[in-house]
Amino acid sequence: MKTEQYYLDRFRVTVPQLERLTATALSRGGDYSDLYFEYTTYQELLLRDGEVTSGGFHDDYGVGIRVLKGERTGYAYSENTGMADMTAAAEAAAQIAHAPSGNPDGRNAYGKTDIRPSNDFYPIADDWKNHASGKFIPVLNALEKAVFAKDPRTVKVIAKLAWSESEIMMYNSFGELVCDYRPLASLVVSAVFSNGSTTESKTAARSFRTGAEMISDSLVEELASEAVSGIDDRFAARRPKGGRMPVVMGAGASGILLHEAMGHSFEADFIRKGQSIFSGMLGKKVCNPSISIIDDGTISANRGACNYDDEGIPGQKTYMVRNGVLESYLHDRISANRFGIASTGNGRRESFRFNPIPRMRATYMESGDATPESIIASVKKGIYVDEFSNGQVKIGEGDFTFYVKSGHLIENGRLTAPIKDINIIGNGPQALADITAVGNDLRIDNGTWTCGKEQSVPVSCGIPTVLVNNLTVGGE
Amino acid sequence: MTMEKKEITGLITPEEISAAEFCLNSILRHGAQQARVSLSKSVLDTTGMLNGQLDKVSHSSDRSVFMYIFADGRYGTFSTNMFDRDELENFTLRAVNAVKLLAEDPLRKLPDISRTAKDAVTGRELGLFDEEYGNMCAEQRFAVAESETMTGKFPGTDKCRIISEECEYSDSVDDNLLIDSSGFVGRHTETSFSLSSEVTVEDSGGRKFSGWWWESSPFAKNLKTGTCSATALERAARQIGPKACKSGKYTLVTDTTVSSRLISPIISALNAFSIQQKTSFLEDTAGKKVFSDGLMLMDLARTPGRPGSRLYDTEGVATSDAPIIKEGTVCNYFVNTYMAAKTGLAPTIEGVSRPVLMPYNCGQDTGASALMKLCGEGIYVTGFNGGNCNPVTGDFSYGIEGFAFRDGKILHPIREMLITGNMMTLWNSLKAAGDDARACTRWQIPSLVFENVDFSG
Repeated sequence: MKTEQYYLDRFRVTVPQLERLTATALSRGGDYSDLYFEYTTYQELLLRDGEVTSGGFHDDYGVGIRVLKGERTGYAYSENTGMADMTAAAEAAAQIAHAPSGNPDGRNAYGKTDIRPSNDFYPIADDWKNHASGKFIPVLNALEKAVFAKDPRTVKVIAKLAWSESEIMMYNSFGELVCDYRPLASLVVSAVFSNGSTTESKTAARSFRTGAEMISDSLVEELASEAVSGIDDRFAARRPKGGRMPVVMGAGASGILLHEAMGHSFEADFIRKGQSIFSGMLGKKVCNPSISIIDDGTISANRGACNYDDEGIPGQKTYMVRNGVLESYLHDRISANRFGIASTGNGRRESFRFNPIPRMRATYMESGDATPESIIASVKKGIYVDEFSNGQVKIGEGDFTFYVKSGHLIENGRLTAPIKDINIIGNGPQALADITAVGNDLRIDNGTWTCGKEQSVPVSCGIPTVLVNNLTVGGE
Repeated sequence: MTMEKKEITGLITPEEISAAEFCLNSILRHGAQQARVSLSKSVLDTTGMLNGQLDKVSHSSDRSVFMYIFADGRYGTFSTNMFDRDELENFTLRAVNAVKLLAEDPLRKLPDISRTAKDAVTGRELGLFDEEYGNMCAEQRFAVAESETMTGKFPGTDKCRIISEECEYSDSVDDNLLIDSSGFVGRHTETSFSLSSEVTVEDSGGRKFSGWWWESSPFAKNLKTGTCSATALERAARQIGPKACKSGKYTLVTDTTVSSRLISPIISALNAFSIQQKTSFLEDTAGKKVFSDGLMLMDLARTPGRPGSRLYDTEGVATSDAPIIKEGTVCNYFVNTYMAAKTGLAPTIEGVSRPVLMPYNCGQDTGASALMKLCGEGIYVTGFNGGNCNPVTGDFSYGIEGFAFRDGKILHPIREMLITGNMMTLWNSLKAAGDDARACTRWQIPSLVFENVDFSG
C-alpha cells in the first residue's frame, strides 16, 4: 500500500499547496471544491494474423479542479501540476460561483465523509509492473492456437490484452485527502468462422480489477472455449417473427436489462432535474416483491468495484429496489446534498478531464426461487436470449433497447430454433412490473462492459434467469 | 465573470513544434528506422444552463503527442501528455525498446512520400479557422447560452409543460501537427461554435418526452442562434400521444438528422481492415454494382469551410474528392499503407472524411416532408434508439422513434417500434434521397426513402 506522501510526491505537490489551490477555487464564493489528480499508464498487446505485431503504451497525467455553488458546477483541468497552471485552472473553475446561487435551500454539506474503506476491492498478488509487456505475448499466441484447435472452421482470430494502472489522489475543501491505486485489465478474443458459404463471428472477454495473476492457462482455455461455443447455432440461426412476446433472459449478461431499463433512470442527476421516468417514485412499489436490484462497488476484483468513487466516497453496496420497493437512487455529492442524504458513492468520471456524475458500478438482481428450467417451461411461445452487445435508454420516456446477438425460440416450454441479431425494445417501469419469475441462478458477467453516459466508465452487470412477460422483439 | 480579451491558447506554439521534432529525432536516435509523430492541441469552453439558470462552466485544455514507431521491422503506438524534455527522452527510449519486443511485421511502413499532402502548410488552407475565436469571453458565452433558453418563455398548455431544459453553448479550437521521418509535415486547424438543447416535457397524464437539437459552425457569425431550444421543445412536444403500430412492412422515410445511422455500416464495411479480417459484408464488391442505381455517395474531403473537410489523413496521405459508391457500384475501399501491403489492394485513403449522399428521385422541394408526399403512407423515423448491425452479414435491427404518415401528413407519433433487415437489401430498396442535409454536419446524408422495410411493434 503506497503512502499519502508517495502520491504527493508523484504529483509534485504538498498539502499546503493543495490548501492554497482550494482557497483559490473557492475565492469567488464557491461552496465546495475538490481536486482530482490522476496518473494513468495504459498498455496493450494485439495479436492479428497469427502474430503479436502491434502494441504500445499511453501515459496520461493531470488534475481536474471542481467548484460547486449550490448545484452548479465549475470545472477545469490542467495537464501539468505546476502551481501556475493549476492555479489558472482553479480560477477558471471558480467562475461558476460568480452568478447568483441556484440553491435556494442554502444546503452545502456535500457529504463530508470522514471514513475510510475497510476493504481493498482490488486484490493484487502479482503487480503488473513486475512484468515487461513481452512476457504476455505467448499468452495471446496460446489463445489464438486454442481457438483454431477447437474449431476447424476458424478463419481469423484477433486477441488483445490491455491493462492499466491509475494512481489517483483526491483532496477536497473539507481537508480530506484520499489516495487510490486502480488496476484494470481485460483479455479479449474475437474469432471469425466460415462453413464454406456463411461467415459468422464471436467475441469472448474477461475484465477484472486485479494484478497480472488474472492471466492463466485456465483463463485462456475458458475464453477459447467460449469463443467457439454456439457457433453451430450461429450458422443455423434466423431472425424470429417480430412483435410483442414473453422474453426469458438468461443468467449473467442479461443484466444489461437492469442497466438500461432501470439503472440509468435511478441515477440521481436525472432525478434532481425531474427528467427520469422514476422521479418521485421513491418508497413506492415498482415491481414484484420477490425482486431486489443492487448497484454494488464492493465486489472484489470486479470491473465496477470502487475502493472510493471519484469524489472520495468509500465504495458501497446500494439497494436500489428492495423487495419490490424503490429504496434508493444512485447519488453523487451534488444530488445527495440536494436530497439531504449521504452520497451512495456513485460519483464517477472517465478521467481528470471530466467532472464526476452519478454512474452505476456492478448492477445486478438478487436470486429468486425458480429454477431456470421451470421458467423456460412456463412459456408457450416466446424467446430466450443470453448474448448481447449494446443497449440504450431514453431517460424521460423510459424506453430502452438492447441488441441480442444470440438466443433461441421457446415453443411449448422448450428451447427450439436458434435466433440472432435482433433488437429488443421496452419501457423501463413496465418491463420491471412485467418480470414475473426470477431464477435461483444469479451470475455476474465479467465481460468488458463500458457505460457511455457522457463519459466512458467501466461497469459490470448480472442477473439470474428472469421472465419478462411482454417485450417488443425485432424480426421479419 | 470578467470581461477580457484573451489569447488563443489552443494553438500549437513553436516550443511545442520543437517538442514534436524532438520526439521524432529521439525515436530515430534510439534505434527506430521510421517514425511518425502527431501533436494535437485543443481548447474547449462550455457554458451550460439548466432551466434558465447557469448550471455549469468548464474549461478544457488538452495537449498530447502520439508516436507511431517502426523499428527493426516491428511497429507500435505510444502517447503521452507530459512534455518535459527529460520525460520525453525517457518515454521515447522505453517506447522503442517496447516495440522491439513485438513480433516482426515487415509490411508496416510509412506511406510513400509522393502520396502525402503537400498543401497543408499553415493549417488554415481549408478555411475552417475563425479568428474571432480569440475574442470570445465568459460573458459572451453566458449571453449566447442564456438567450437560447425557453424556460419562462413557454407558459405551457393543458397538454404540455416543460419539466426540464438543458441548454449548452461551447466553442473550441483544435490544432494538429503531423510530421514523419520521410519529411512529411502537415497542419490542420479548425474552430467550432456550437449550441445544443435538450428539453423534457410532460403531458397531461404525466408521461415525459424529450427532444434534442443542435446547431454548429466553424464560424461564430454563422452559428444559428435563437431557435435551438425552441426546436428541441417542438421536437419533444410533437411526440405526445404515441400510438402502437402493427408489425408489418412499411415505407421508411428517415429524417436527415438520423440518416447517417444507415450509411455508417456501409462505410465501415468498405474499410480494407474489415475486408482483410473477413468481417465485412462488402468483401469482393469493389467495381461491382451491388446497390440501387440511386445510391451515389461521394467523399468530398476538400470542400473549404465545411466541417469534416481535411487535406490529409492520419498517415499524412493527401485526401481527394472521390466517389465511394457511384450509381450503386462500389468504387473504392478505404485502404491505408499497411492494408495495401497486406491485401495487395492499391492504397487509397485510410477512412472517409466528409461523405455526401447525392439527391435521387426527389423534386425541387427536397426535404422529408416532400419525400413523404411521394410515398403515400409509411413511417417517418426521426430517431434511433439502440440497435446494431452485424458487420459480417449486414443484418441489422434498430429501435426507432418517429411518426406514422399518410399522403405526406403526419398521423401520430409511434411507440416502441423496431426496424429489422439487411443492409444490402435495404440499400437496394432505396427509392429517393433528398437534398436537405444540414450544413453543420460532417456527414452530409439527406432524408431517405426505402420501401418494404420490416417494422415490429
